[in-house]
Amino acid sequence: MMQIYKIDGINVQVICCPPEDVNKGDYVLVEDLATAKALIIQVVNSGYANVPGILEDILRASSTEKVEGVDLDPLEMRSFVNIIKDAELLTCKIRGAIDKGKLSNDVNWIPSRSTSRLKKLPDEDLIKLAGIGQEEAVDIGVSKGGGKISINISSIDGKMNIITGKKETGKSHLSKLLLLRLVSRGGVCIVFDVNGEYVNLGYTKGERKTALHDKFIPLTPGKDFKVSLQYAGPGVLLRIMESVLELPATSAWEFRRIWNELRVKGALRLEYMRSAIRAVSNNYIQDALLRRFESLISTNFFTDDVEKATTLDKVLEKVSGGGAIIINLQNMTSKFRQIVVEFMLSKLSQLLEDWFLRAIFLFAEEAHLYLRETYWDDIVTRMRHLGVFTTFITNQPDSISESVYRQADNIFLFNFTNEHDLEIVSKASRVDSETVNVIARQLPLHHCLMLGKVLNDFPMIVRIDSLDEETMGETRLFFANPKQK
Amino acid sequence: MEILDLSQKAPVDFIRLGSVSLKDVADLSLRPRNIGLHEAGFEELGYADEQNFVAEVGKQRLDPIRLTPINETTQVLALDTSSIELGETDAGLLCAVRGTIVWKDRNGYRYTRYGPFIFHVTEANKEYLYNGLRQIYFGTNDAAPVPSVLWMPGRLRNILERWLQGQLSQNCENSILLWDGSLTAWTIDSPVALISEMLRTARGNGNVVLAISKKTKFVVSGQRVADLIDDRDAPCLLDLDEIIRREYGSYLCFFGRVYAAKFTPSCFSFRLDIDKSVPGEAGIDAVQKLIGNDLVVESYPETLRLAHILSKFSASEVIGMQRLVTENYDIRVVSRPDVRQVLFGPYGGGRSSSLGGEGLL
Repeated sequence: MMQIYKIDGINVQVICCPPEDVNKGDYVLVEDLATAKALIIQVVNSGYANVPGILEDILRASSTEKVEGVDLDPLEMRSFVNIIKDAELLTCKIRGAIDKGKLSNDVNWIPSRSTSRLKKLPDEDLIKLAGIGQEEAVDIGVSKGGGKISINISSIDGKMNIITGKKETGKSHLSKLLLLRLVSRGGVCIVFDVNGEYVNLGYTKGERKTALHDKFIPLTPGKDFKVSLQYAGPGVLLRIMESVLELPATSAWEFRRIWNELRVKGALRLEYMRSAIRAVSNNYIQDALLRRFESLISTNFFTDDVEKATTLDKVLEKVSGGGAIIINLQNMTSKFRQIVVEFMLSKLSQLLEDWFLRAIFLFAEEAHLYLRETYWDDIVTRMRHLGVFTTFITNQPDSISESVYRQADNIFLFNFTNEHDLEIVSKASRVDSETVNVIARQLPLHHCLMLGKVLNDFPMIVRIDSLDEETMGETRLFFANPKQK
Repeated sequence: MEILDLSQKAPVDFIRLGSVSLKDVADLSLRPRNIGLHEAGFEELGYADEQNFVAEVGKQRLDPIRLTPINETTQVLALDTSSIELGETDAGLLCAVRGTIVWKDRNGYRYTRYGPFIFHVTEANKEYLYNGLRQIYFGTNDAAPVPSVLWMPGRLRNILERWLQGQLSQNCENSILLWDGSLTAWTIDSPVALISEMLRTARGNGNVVLAISKKTKFVVSGQRVADLIDDRDAPCLLDLDEIIRREYGSYLCFFGRVYAAKFTPSCFSFRLDIDKSVPGEAGIDAVQKLIGNDLVVESYPETLRLAHILSKFSASEVIGMQRLVTENYDIRVVSRPDVRQVLFGPYGGGRSSSLGGEGLL
């Protein structure tokens, strides 16, 4: 039996005696019979109730620990006392209300402590009540209670998501699952693949092509993904020169002059540009420009060969009906990664501003490795309005700017035990810190706490579905099975 | 003595009459006794015979009787009981009593605990319960004046305690039997004939009954007795029998010789009554066997301490019993306002006031 003990703001304490099968993450319905309204509360912590006399009982038991004996207990009181001693105190948070059978946000009322009826709210009922996964739904996993969790695709569309958790808890797995679900529904996606683990998503684990095989286009910058100077354009190149290669302003001005001169002559080729730089009279500027230019050339990302050069527009056309471009950033130097990402984001902004693209889903694994600081706010604000809907995936929550947490629409939180990490994640506006601190610590492998619009702001623990696709996210081991390559 | 011997002797009439009284309570509402979260203990109605003694000795010198522990193996058995009020009903009150016998054998301390026995005491049934149990366990056909319902938990406890004392007297041989309280008979709880018979039976089986009182305070010539005994003399006894008998003998019936006992150097001393029909030296020997066979901490025997601990009800047990009664006997739990709390708030005090104000049931 559950009874309300205390209500303070959104915090509700419930006494559960005798204990029922209600655990952290579960939902409880508090039905106020007098008003025909109900509160939906979620258990975020549980422990023993502070039953009077427990300390005395424990001390008494320790005093008589070595005393053996017989109890002639004709009424079998002991079993009743044990029920009292095991009484649980559930710490809950109010997540919503029901008024006249419909979901309501009005939680500014208090149900009767003496006449309210409390019962566990099965996940299936909550999902139905909250309207989760009813339109354009994609399967994502199973709730703790065994209910199938499908999310509305619109709850990701136009949203910013964070997938975080400690290593090997299933973050990349969820990211791939979301990617596959988006692609299957016609979504256009770009993945910054730091570890080269998305490149085989078009194949099953048995190395057979999947139905979505042709919708995944892996590109390795400098190998099968090269662009011409003309396509990159002066704006993108200057941004790379200045922000990634730290070109001083005076030299940047000189670079712009050279670019315009070559453009007028119709000579925007790498060799001509090198000659033009060498012709700069100021030795300091010449040297500064030349070093940056050689750095760019060394990546092999830029080419004069028309046959080898491609454009992002062309690549995106291939996935216009739905698909993902996987930008393989594996085995690249930090600078090269940053050059590629700077190029991609600048070009994407241009394409979106020109309405070449309606919108795009961007999956950024360990973005701190390639995203300069000034881009965080840009992604959260300007680029989001342009139609870049980013999903950040990281095991280092402090690598993501605080503003990103505050504005995240959805957070997929896997197991964390580190206090510092939990403190950072708890800054997300979509959840209270207690929920994060208590539940995230005890999440099993492949289970995540979903917070945000995907579940209509009803946090839920979800076991993520497995995938047939080759996810390649497993850690390489020294003492591995010989079959593991 | 085997555990089985004692555990087979249940006070069946406590079970029977308790059950009868509880069945009467059906369809009544129970206002449970509030148990505060910080409540340290419960009041219990103690024995009226454990009164304080104030005596004047004049120039008489009180010499301590020094004791030497006798390690000759002797079984020591102790018993204690307790009662508690569980709540009020429309018709009366619910209470519980429990008793424990503790003894020490080669393997350590052992116990047999009897109860709890729960009673619903009302104006209508109190006479039936009280005199019924007295007749069964005291073996008397005289109807005694029935106390107020409020005093009934203590009286029921007393009957259980006398029954347990009788069981030990009858079933033990050559043992030291420790009673909690005194060997004074003066109230309705301590009929002279009953106490006399129990002591006679105990002696007949080679037992010596010692009664130790925690509550009795001795003041002799204006001084606490503990101050009269030097720590260096412990273990020792101070014979106060003549002095106390001179002051109180005209209206109290003493079945024991009265001593102040200090078994270990400490600030505590207790009243010790030794069955007065046991020859003086044999009585002192029994005390020396007690301290030679039982662990003594702060001048108090461990068997008696354990009997007390095991008998006493804790707050969680009270809540458990309240739950037992409501589940098994269809009693409705109601939270009626407590007039004392309404009028006086935290200063209400009294039997049913809640100390913590956070009652749980």
